[in-house]
Amino acid sequence: METTFTEQDGLKVITEMIENSRAKIRDNGFFYLLWGWLVLIAGLSNFILLIVGFDKAWLPWPVLMIGGGIATGIAGYRLGKNARVKTFFDIAMIYLWNGFLVLLLFILFMAARGVISWVASNAIIIAIYGLGTFVSGGLLKFKPLIIGGVISWALAIITLFIPDIYSLLTIALSVIISYLIPGYLLKSRDKKLSHV
Amino acid sequence: MFKDLDPLLHSQLRLQIMSLLIGVESAEFTYLLEETGATRGNLSVQISKLKDAEYIDVKKSFRKNYPLTTCTITPKGVEAFEKYVEALQDYLKVNKEKVKK
Repeated sequence: METTFTEQDGLKVITEMIENSRAKIRDNGFFYLLWGWLVLIAGLSNFILLIVGFDKAWLPWPVLMIGGGIATGIAGYRLGKNARVKTFFDIAMIYLWNGFLVLLLFILFMAARGVISWVASNAIIIAIYGLGTFVSGGLLKFKPLIIGGVISWALAIITLFIPDIYSLLTIALSVIISYLIPGYLLKSRDKKLSHV
Repeated sequence: MFKDLDPLLHSQLRLQIMSLLIGVESAEFTYLLEETGATRGNLSVQISKLKDAEYIDVKKSFRKNYPLTTCTITPKGVEAFEKYVEALQDYLKVNKEKVKK
C-alpha cells in the first residue's frame, strides 16, 4: 500500500487530517451560560435589594460567585480529564480565563480596600468581561462573541456617566449581550455541528 | 529538481498521524485511532517509528486504571513536516508548469 502512495495522496491526507483536527475547535457555550446567568442574577438581585433597602444587598455576589467558581472548577477538571485531544485553542482559553480570574480578584480587592470606587470597579469588570469574550470570539471565529465584547466596552464607558446604582444594570446588560446571547448561539451551533 | 520526500512521512498512516498532531497540543492514542481509521497494531507500529525518529513524543500513563498513551509532535517533527510540505509544493509547481506547456 505504501508503494502506491503518491504526492497527491500526501496532500490529500494532510488536508483531510488538518480539517479534522480543526473541527475539534468547538465550544458548547456551557461556561458562558453558567457565568452569564450567575452574574445576571447577582447584579439584578443586588439592584433590587438596594432598592428595597436591605443592608447586605451585596450578599448575592459572594454566594453566587463562589458557587460558580466551584462549579467551573469541577466542570473544567472533568472536561480536561476526558478530552482525548488538546488543541491550542483549549490552552489559550485556559490561560485567558485564569488570567481573567486573577485580574477580577485584584480589581475586587482594590475596590474593597477603597483604592478605587465600586463604580470604577464595575466599569473595569465590564470592560474585562468584554476582553474575555472579544478574544474568545476571535479564536473561535464567532462574531456574536466579538460584537458582545465591543458592546461591553461601550457599556463600561457608559457606566462612568450614570448614577452609581445603575452600574449594576449595565453589568446585567453586558452579560446578556456578551455572554448569554452568544452562549445560546454557540450552544445551537455546537448542536448543529454534532449532527454533521 | 524535486527535493526528496522524507520516506518516514511519505506513508499514508504516518502522514495521517503527523498531520493530526501538527494542529493540536497533544492527542491520545484513541483519538488517533478514531481519526485515522487504522488498526491498533498498525497504529502502534507507526507511532513507534515516528517516536524512534524523534518526530513525536509518546507519554504513557494511566486513567482510571487503564493505560493512556498521549502523543505530542516535537520541534524536529514540525521541521520534518514543514520540509515535507515544501517538497510537495515544489512537486505540484513543477507538475502545473508541465500541464501549461
